[in-house]
Amino acid sequence: MSYIHFPVLAVMLLFMGAFLTVVFGRHNQGVRVGICTVTSVGAFALIAALIKPVMLGGEVISYWMGNWSPVEGYAIGIGYEVDQLGLFFALLVVATVLLSAIYSIKYMENDSSLDFYYVLFQMLAGGVLGLVLTGDVFNMFIMIEIMTFSAVGLTAFRNHKWGAVEAAFKYLIIGSIGSSMVLFGVAILYAQCHTLNMAQLSSILSGNNSPATIMAFALMFTGLAVKAFIVPFHAPAADSYAAAPTSISMVFSGMVNKAGVYGMIRLVYIIFRAMDSSALQMLMVVFGCVTMFVGVTMALAQHDFKRLLAFHSISQIGYVITAAGLGTALGLTGGLFHAMNHTLFKGLLFLCAGAVLKQAGTTNLDQLGGLSKRMPKTTICFLVGAFSISGLPPFNGFASKWLIYQAAFAKAVESGKIIYAFVTVIAVIVSVMTLASFIKVTQAAFFGQLPARLNDVQEAPTLMLVPMWIMSILCVLSGIFYNVVDKYLLAPATDAAINVTNYIDTMMGGGYAAAAGVRNIAIAPAEFSYWNPILWLVLFIVVLAAAFIVMITGKSDRGEILCAETDVEDGKYATFFSGEHSLPSHVAGSDLFWGFKKDWKKYFHVIEGLHSGIVSDYALWAVAASAVIVIVMFGFMR
Amino acid sequence: MSILVTLFNILIFPGLLFVCVIGLILAGVDRKVLARMQKRVGPPLVQPFYDFFKLMGKETIVPHAANKAVYLAAPVVGFTSLVVMMLFIPIFGYSAFSGSADMIVIMYLLTIPAVALIVGGSASGSPYAGIGVSREMVTLMSYELPLVLVLLSVAKAAGGNALCFSLNDIVSWQQATGSGITHASLIPAALAMLLVIPAEVGTQPFDVAEAETEICEGPLIEYSGAPLAMFKLNTAMKMFIMTSLFTCLFLGGINTGIVALNAVILVAICILLTILCMTLIHAITARLKIEHLFKFYWIVVAGLAVCSLILVWLGL
Repeated sequence: MSYIHFPVLAVMLLFMGAFLTVVFGRHNQGVRVGICTVTSVGAFALIAALIKPVMLGGEVISYWMGNWSPVEGYAIGIGYEVDQLGLFFALLVVATVLLSAIYSIKYMENDSSLDFYYVLFQMLAGGVLGLVLTGDVFNMFIMIEIMTFSAVGLTAFRNHKWGAVEAAFKYLIIGSIGSSMVLFGVAILYAQCHTLNMAQLSSILSGNNSPATIMAFALMFTGLAVKAFIVPFHAPAADSYAAAPTSISMVFSGMVNKAGVYGMIRLVYIIFRAMDSSALQMLMVVFGCVTMFVGVTMALAQHDFKRLLAFHSISQIGYVITAAGLGTALGLTGGLFHAMNHTLFKGLLFLCAGAVLKQAGTTNLDQLGGLSKRMPKTTICFLVGAFSISGLPPFNGFASKWLIYQAAFAKAVESGKIIYAFVTVIAVIVSVMTLASFIKVTQAAFFGQLPARLNDVQEAPTLMLVPMWIMSILCVLSGIFYNVVDKYLLAPATDAAINVTNYIDTMMGGGYAAAAGVRNIAIAPAEFSYWNPILWLVLFIVVLAAAFIVMITGKSDRGEILCAETDVEDGKYATFFSGEHSLPSHVAGSDLFWGFKKDWKKYFHVIEGLHSGIVSDYALWAVAASAVIVIVMFGFMR
Repeated sequence: MSILVTLFNILIFPGLLFVCVIGLILAGVDRKVLARMQKRVGPPLVQPFYDFFKLMGKETIVPHAANKAVYLAAPVVGFTSLVVMMLFIPIFGYSAFSGSADMIVIMYLLTIPAVALIVGGSASGSPYAGIGVSREMVTLMSYELPLVLVLLSVAKAAGGNALCFSLNDIVSWQQATGSGITHASLIPAALAMLLVIPAEVGTQPFDVAEAETEICEGPLIEYSGAPLAMFKLNTAMKMFIMTSLFTCLFLGGINTGIVALNAVILVAICILLTILCMTLIHAITARLKIEHLFKFYWIVVAGLAVCSLILVWLGL
């Protein structure tokens, strides 16, 4: 069938777009936008066309570059291999790229040197897409490099701002540490196994680790953890997400850190098949919990909308790593679901922040206020995103977090380890703190009183609103119709991660896995006792109707709703502050949660001190953490 | 016919009408008993009904600084989520929609009324509401930790080595082995839950968010007329829902076999619990500061709940 060419075509299309932009798009914005639209729509269509054979048909697509197929059981060419797990992440990538491309058209209109922007944007998109589709570890490293360097370039895109250059520098240093570790790990693997093909590596390494391959595992794990920005590798993420143009921040949190997560899942579940090791599970869960906790507490301390969102990206990735680290089918399903939901709601929130930045000129939460009067549509989108990330039913964040709580607690009762019960507790508390920090944004930016200098703010242009609406609708739909998402996306992807014989056989020829002694690990498939959101929604609507009936019947003709009609000053409609209704008295971002911050001031003192902003400190953390990972793996693996 | 039964469940018992009426009665009991404890005569038992219908007939003013849609929708959203919640809390084994009741879902649904209050107050644009919003959020963070620990303790006790988040399963476990409160390891959790109830409902000494004497009812300051009536009704309903959740988790072993009689017993227990953990504490304490409230919940109450969780884990 012709669809076996689609994955490689999608990647090539994006790289070709970057090349053509250099050649033809130097001067004409229309050409650049045209090329970018064609490539992003094309990539989306090519990847979406694979849903039918791969997700529904259960096929695994393999594609040997230049038809260099394996010789005598050894893979020598570069192979692309698309299984359900890879396709799941590829779908996140192309959806993010498409929405960001639409958003960029209006959002970036006032910037100069847009040819560089579009070149780097398409390189980044192609790099991440290649990373999730490739079946070759060295090719994966190359894609990581392309991704990292385009990301660094895009972080520094607004290089007239000091913060952007600094963030790019930090990203470069920490990112290079990660890349080097991946490269080192790949080199060791090649020396040990004489192959770079993931499927073949998986069949060789299955339960067959030597000290050298454990070292390779630890290094690659660390390198990919750097790319996923889990704590303590997270410092450049906070800076670069905040400093990059918002359309790029959305891409970063939507797919660039997902690429790291994908790499980790691919590494531990498929290449090394190490998820039955309880030490590795504990390592991932501890890193995940620390990540979500540090991320959310740092977010609570932020005063800048985008920086706050950046720390939330880190925190939500912690959920994904924790869930994937549980090593159960239910946990992995929850983790993948949360990764997808994070792409949707965090993308949405970044786009809202971008709209605020473009229209109001700042994202400082202490200077904003009352924007819901001027930007009502953005406010609605923001509330949908905020409720989704806080996990309120019936939005999508609830469904995935609920799976994660359940998976962690099931792990606790089944393994008898109380620590996993506390994982559930931490996850719930982090979720509440997430809610708190979004209440802070809601109160500080969108509600409250409108400062006089923001009086002329307009609603965001339609081209920026369209991606926001799409993502809002997807947030609601994927929360309500979770079972459709599960059936067509999550269940195949989870199954592909756990049962790898099909992956190996497709790539290396039938019976190869069995010959190498690879058997599917007996991890029980996820059993859901999902809540039933559709039933709940019907109830909600019925009760809502009943409530309105009560309100209407309970109302006499005096019970009318009175609103101020124009901007006429009328004492009846004023909000009062100590009897003076004319004084502006907005409760801004840093005024909130005083009691909480006071009780936690020692913690905040320490944690803010650790985020020193000095790149050598961050490099030190990264090296220290990699040492911990290496020690744990040598001490407890096998 | 089944549609009629469903509608009956949603609109009358145990849904809308039942929870509203019982909630308002509990609010009346609370006020009456509190007055008697303070040597006052107190309002009649049905005073909350009078208040509700009076407010319903008053005009609703939307302030100039407010976002009208969010400001008016917030109380209704809170109200509906409370009604929906009641449909899923089993009354000694009887629940309107069995099978999908889950304690994590209940816990999240419980946050929706609080979020509705926060968002509605925030949308009103008043600085007092801003302070109230901040405090309400910190209160929410405070009691969420003990609440989740309590729920996990009960889940572990009921499920043993299997996952048991379903409230129906927890009730049937209690009916087989005796109410939760009779298990020694769950007693600290029950105490913690009793302390979570007043914070969730927002009664003194945990009413920092609404603190009438300092910030003039905080988030509610700009509300008037029907939306205010809805918020007052929500508070009353929360009294009933929290006490019946306690009953479900810790006193679920009672079953007479007759639904109506069970409902009467539930109401009686809820009245007792209201007097015990809301009226009594209200009468003998003064309002805490927000930072003290946070410390109290994260150290004392959560400590009780952790004790319970560890005891349950050890199989005691």
